[in-house]
Amino acid sequence: MTALGIILLALLGVPLFAVIGLSALASFYNAEIDSAAIFIELYRVASNPTLIAIPLFTFSGFILAHGRTPERLTRVSQSFLRGIPGGVPVSILIACAFFTALTGASGVTIIALGGLLYPLLLKEKYGENFSLGMITSSGSLGLLFPPSLPLILYGLIAQVSVDKLFIAGIIPGMIMILIVSAFAITRRTQSSESFSWPEARSALLDAIWELPLPFLILVGIYGGFFTVTEAASVTVVYVILVETFIYKDLDIFKDLPGLMKDSMVLVGSILIILGTAMGFTNYLVDEQVPMTILATMKEYIHDPLTFLMVLNVFLLIVGCMMDIFSAIIVVVPLIIPIAQSFDVNMVHLGIIFLTNLEIGYSTPPVGINLFIAATRFNKPVLKLYLAVLPFLGLRLIGLILITYVPAISLFLVDWVSR
Amino acid sequence: MHILKQIDRFLEKIEGHLIVLILSLMILLSFGQMVLRNFFDMGIVWGDTLLRQWVLWVGFLGASIAVRHDKHISIEVFSGLASLFCKRIIKAFARFSAGIISGFLAWAAWSFMLFEKDSQSILFLDIPVWIFQTVLPYSFVVISLRFLLSSATFFANDSEQALK
Repeated sequence: MTALGIILLALLGVPLFAVIGLSALASFYNAEIDSAAIFIELYRVASNPTLIAIPLFTFSGFILAHGRTPERLTRVSQSFLRGIPGGVPVSILIACAFFTALTGASGVTIIALGGLLYPLLLKEKYGENFSLGMITSSGSLGLLFPPSLPLILYGLIAQVSVDKLFIAGIIPGMIMILIVSAFAITRRTQSSESFSWPEARSALLDAIWELPLPFLILVGIYGGFFTVTEAASVTVVYVILVETFIYKDLDIFKDLPGLMKDSMVLVGSILIILGTAMGFTNYLVDEQVPMTILATMKEYIHDPLTFLMVLNVFLLIVGCMMDIFSAIIVVVPLIIPIAQSFDVNMVHLGIIFLTNLEIGYSTPPVGINLFIAATRFNKPVLKLYLAVLPFLGLRLIGLILITYVPAISLFLVDWVSR
Repeated sequence: MHILKQIDRFLEKIEGHLIVLILSLMILLSFGQMVLRNFFDMGIVWGDTLLRQWVLWVGFLGASIAVRHDKHISIEVFSGLASLFCKRIIKAFARFSAGIISGFLAWAAWSFMLFEKDSQSILFLDIPVWIFQTVLPYSFVVISLRFLLSSATFFANDSEQALK
C-alpha cells in the first residue's frame, strides 16, 4: 500500500529525491532506525576521491556547450567527410558522439547541435523521418566515451576503477557508431559538395585546441601522468583558458559565473538523489532484498546469458522511465549482488548498463530525448516515435553484441593492464 | 507573500555567489594540488579532504537553487497527458508533497549533524566535521520552504483565475 502510494507520487512528478527520501524515511521508521542514518552513506561516497571529478567535468562540459565548440566540431567532421557517400550523416554521428562525451548529460547534444545538424541533413536531401530519427537517437551516442559523467558516476557507485571504465567504453562506443553509420551509408544521397582540402585544413586549424581534449585525458591517465581527478582539474583549467583567452567565445567575468551556477544546479540535482538514495539502497541490501530477488530468479535462470537477457529488458524499461543519473544511483547497488552471483565482470556490467540506458533515452513512449527533440524541432512526439524506430533496432543489435561478447568491453582493459 | 519572495530571491543571490566562490577555489586548489604532486612531489595533506567537502557544498547549494528553476529530476508521465488546468493542480500537489518530505529530510539531516557534533570527529586542522555538514540541514530547509512557497503560488494563481 505504502509502496503503491510512493510510486503514484513519482508518476505525478514529485521530484525523485523526495520520492526516494520518503521511501527511506518510511522504511527506516518501520525498522526503528534513526532517520539520520539516511545521510551516513552519502558521507561514505564523499570519501571517494573521484567525487571531485564530477563538478569539474560538468563545469567543463557547460563551458564547451556554451561556446562555439558545437559549430567548430561540426565543421571539422563535415569538411573531412564531404563528398564521400553518406559522409554527412556519418560526420554528424561523430560530432554528436564527441560532443556528448565531453558534456556528459545527453539532452544537451540535441539542444546544442540539433539546430545546426537537422537543416544540414535536409539540405543533402535526406528524408525528414530519417533526419529526425538520426539526430534524436544520436543525442546519447558517445556516452561510453571518456570523460562522460555517467561512466564516472557508475564507477563511484559500483566502486569500480574509473580508469578501467574509461578505456572499456571505447570499442563498444565505436561499434555503436559503426552500426548506425553503416545504415546511414545505405541511405546515402547524391552529395552536392565535394571534398576540399583548404576548407578541411582551415576547419581543422580552427578546432585545433578542442580536438586533442579527449586524447589529452586518455593519454594523461594511461600514461600514468595523472589520476581521473587530476585529469578533471587539468581539463577545466584548459577549457577555461581556451574558450576565454584563445577563442574568446566567453567572457571570464560575464559568462563563467552564470555557467558555474547552472552547472552546479545539475550537479546538485544528481547529488541530492545520491544523498537520499544511497542510505536507502544500502538498507535494502542489508535487508537481503537483492538476494531474495536472486533466489526467485535462480529458480528460472541458471546461466549468466539468460540473466543478462532479462537484465537488458529490465534496464531498457528503466532507461526510458528514468534519467541516466538516477537510474545508476538507484538501480546499480541493487543489481550488483545479483550480477556478482552470476559471475558478471563489474566493468562489463557497467558498459551493459550504460548502453541500455543510452538506448532508453530515445525509446518510446517516454524516453526523454524524444521530448527534447519534439520541442527543439517543433514536431509532434508521435512522429518522432516512428522516426527513431529503425535506429532503435540497430542499436539493439549493438547492445546484444556488447552484452554477449564481454571481450568487446574487456579486451582493451586487459591489454592496457598487461 | 511578497516579502517571502524577496527573501527567496536574496537567498538565491547569496547561494549563487557562494557557488561561484567555492567552485573557483576548488578549481584553483585541485589544479594546484596536481601541479605540486607532479612537479614538486608534494601536496597539501588536507587538500583532497577539503575538496570533497566542497563538492557537497556546491552540490547542495545547487540543489537548493534547482527548486526555483524547476530543475529537480522527476518522472513526468501524467503531466504530459493532462489538460492545462489539471497540470497546474498536479504540479502544485507534487510541489507541496516535495516540500513536506523535504521538511522531514531536513530534520533527518539536522539530527545527522548533531550526531557528528556529539562524536566530536575532526576533519583536519582541528576543524570539526559537523561545521561542513551544516550545508545539509540548511539546504533541505530552504528546499522545503521553496517547494511550499511555489505550490502556494500555484494555488493562489488558480483561485485568482477562477475569480476572473
